[in-house]
Amino acid sequence: MGFPVAVLKTENLSRNFGGLAALTRVSVEFRENEILGIIGPNGAGKTTLINVIAGIYLPTDGKIFFDGKDISQLPPHKRCRLGISRTFQLVRPLPGLSLIENIMLGSLFGRGLGRKEARLKAEELCDFMGLDRVTRDISRMTSLEIKKMEIGRALAPEPTLLFLDEVMAGLNSDETREMIELVKRIHNRGITVGIVEHVMRVIRELTDRVVVLDWGELLAEGPYEEVSGDPRVITAYLGEEA
Amino acid sequence: MNRWKYLLYLVIFIVLLTLPLYTGVYLLNVVDIILIYLSLALSWDMLLRSGQISFGMAGLFGVGGYAAVLLHLNTGVHPLFSILLGGLAAGILAWLIGTAVLQLRGMYFAIVTLALAEIFRVIVRNLPDLTGGPEGTVLPSAIFSGNSTKTYWLVLAVAVISIIASEAFRRTRIHFALTSIRNDEVVAKSSGIDVFKYLVFIFGITSAIQGLTGGAYAHIYGFVSPDGSFSVDFTLLPIAMALLGGMHSTWGPVVGAVVLGGVSEFLKLKIPYGHLMVYGLIIVVAILFFPRGIVGTLGQRFKNTHRG
Amino acid sequence: MANFVGSLKKSTVQIALAGVILAVLLAFWKPHVLVEGFQRACLYAVIALPMALILGIVGIINLAHGDFMMLGAYFAYWLNVYTGLDPLLSILPALPAFFLIGMLSYRAIIRYVLGAPELNQLLLTFGLAMVLEQLANLLWTSRPIKLPLKYVSASATLGSFTFGIYEFIYVGAALLVLIGLLIFLKRTDMGQAALAVGQNPRGAKLVGIHVDRTYLFIFSLSIALVGAVGAIFMTRHSIFPLVGGAFTMKSFCLIAMAGIGNLTGILWCSLILGIAENFLLSFRGYAGWADILFFALIVLVIIVRARQRQVK
Repeated sequence: MGFPVAVLKTENLSRNFGGLAALTRVSVEFRENEILGIIGPNGAGKTTLINVIAGIYLPTDGKIFFDGKDISQLPPHKRCRLGISRTFQLVRPLPGLSLIENIMLGSLFGRGLGRKEARLKAEELCDFMGLDRVTRDISRMTSLEIKKMEIGRALAPEPTLLFLDEVMAGLNSDETREMIELVKRIHNRGITVGIVEHVMRVIRELTDRVVVLDWGELLAEGPYEEVSGDPRVITAYLGEEA
Repeated sequence: MNRWKYLLYLVIFIVLLTLPLYTGVYLLNVVDIILIYLSLALSWDMLLRSGQISFGMAGLFGVGGYAAVLLHLNTGVHPLFSILLGGLAAGILAWLIGTAVLQLRGMYFAIVTLALAEIFRVIVRNLPDLTGGPEGTVLPSAIFSGNSTKTYWLVLAVAVISIIASEAFRRTRIHFALTSIRNDEVVAKSSGIDVFKYLVFIFGITSAIQGLTGGAYAHIYGFVSPDGSFSVDFTLLPIAMALLGGMHSTWGPVVGAVVLGGVSEFLKLKIPYGHLMVYGLIIVVAILFFPRGIVGTLGQRFKNTHRG
Repeated sequence: MANFVGSLKKSTVQIALAGVILAVLLAFWKPHVLVEGFQRACLYAVIALPMALILGIVGIINLAHGDFMMLGAYFAYWLNVYTGLDPLLSILPALPAFFLIGMLSYRAIIRYVLGAPELNQLLLTFGLAMVLEQLANLLWTSRPIKLPLKYVSASATLGSFTFGIYEFIYVGAALLVLIGLLIFLKRTDMGQAALAVGQNPRGAKLVGIHVDRTYLFIFSLSIALVGAVGAIFMTRHSIFPLVGGAFTMKSFCLIAMAGIGNLTGILWCSLILGIAENFLLSFRGYAGWADILFFALIVLVIIVRARQRQVK
């Protein structure tokens, strides 16, 4: 078992937007090779947490430590190169690039691979995710395929820590099953995963622990069974029981 | 890329190289102008691919011209070398300006570049000891003593450099960087791209090309002046050409330059005052009705019939 | 958060105090600079305000803005030549004429790029600016023209210091337009609707506000105002096809300094620009550099804004 090593740790992380306190003194830990669930009602600050950790926003207060180093002020592209990756809640495929090229982006710049190697890696990732490699117009791809492309793009830089922001949204139960298996495969590669979700059955199945955010504050943390029985969490809107 | 394409390009190149052998001086001069505008149009498009517009081409063009001429006159360097230095000067200047201004993108950057030509014009006018003031500076002799063949080869060389740069931007990882920055900066940043550094770099390189072109132009015509070297022509026409021909490509600006370059000579004779209006109209019409330009629209048709 | 607001107020007070001290110093050292700078500042402001209106509410940057002013100037000139109408009076026909021109421009051209990326808007209005400038060039050549009007040289003397009074018309115009716009936006239904549309077009549509008509009105109003300003401008300065371009740039500089949506701020920032320019002009060796002061200001503003945004 051994002592759990924290891959990433936030210390009293706060982020304000004008008068709105999106995050207030949030201290969480992402332990090596765990799958940590991030749950909470809408507007709780889950995506903001990812954005601040990924560097899209700088913290108003508090610190972030990755591998023991303070990365709180680093720009996002440097954090990507260090090994932090994320997907987006509303998918953002790049229309100017093909499917494979979208995925290649991550390894070209996140890992500095040459184009040939990046292409090979992208093809390998497609196989890994069960995504049809054949280049198609993004407008003709299904929602599941686009999500996989985004995940592929996030996996290409070979991250240590990967954030999945509501990847199950809008999927039917077969697709959800497929996505769950994909997350497990990603986890088996040794990647630490932070997963934001509203679908509780997914959280129950995938995660080792969860953290609960409400109004930007950390409400509770621990294994899902414990947390879901916590009266404070229950009074905060829990989300759908799937 | 198949063998036939390479063969075609080779043939075109040989034809262009040997053009002076079977073309008169007047026509050669027209081609010179087309090639100058072609280089400018390509350099503008290269920056456009990153999602930024520069309206400052005339400014960097003029800076290159002045730098080339003044360096040659004051330090005696060979004209060709001074042209390279002119490009370098423009590139460095753009790098400095870009570092300051590219922290904000879009309209802030675009409007700052709009001011560039006027800024440099004022600076040049106010340093008469260095630059010859409002009348400008005349070279004792044009480069190659005005030999039209060598002049043509000079401009052809600049154009080839621009084409090579444009293709490099399309075939290397720079293409990925540019496209992702243009499509979605947040995704680009999150995928490891240092957006700011790339933009400053692109702005610097494309401005260097503009300076290079300006240096060549200045030496060919043998003079620089605040109004001549920073003329709005050098911003307006290349933009119209790139839009007409088709943005985000190498062929687009080339086609646009060939078409409009020829038209420009014709128009100048027929409508001496205000013929530039046509180019403004082309820009307006292009944005409204066919933003992909000639090449883009044709290319789209080609894609549609071949992909399915 | 409270700290930030508190410190902002403090720095504003400090700046205001510094401004007052500088003004008093100038009054004694170079009174010309103070007076003429003030007048010039208001000219810049009255041109920038309509541009700010479009940018804030319709959300597009109109690079042809200064050229509409130029057209207004030529309009007044030709009206005077053909009918003898005093240019100041031609503000009256200019307003509806340019309102119409604004409507046509909006319907025929601007409307199409509202949803398009900013790039397209910039290029389109740039093309439009070129068309207007070259059209003027074609019709009236690039030779500067001016009307010899007696009343523009009216001046007053204060002790040993003589200054022009006519130019205070710009001050009047700026105050009129600013106050008029503020009343319009805050006290009228149409204005409130416009503000709503500016902040959230989709939301405004949901509550039943006719977004397109609002854009049309605001755009046409802006063009009408700037055309009328052209008529006033014409009385005092010689005009030529490219005269408007510099004003577009300086208007943008002011809007960038004041911040989009801050109409009153434009007046204050124009004071800085106007007086600083005149200050440079008063030194014989540096007069030529006054023209590019606005550029230094824009770059400075961008650097400062970017710093602020670092905390995103």
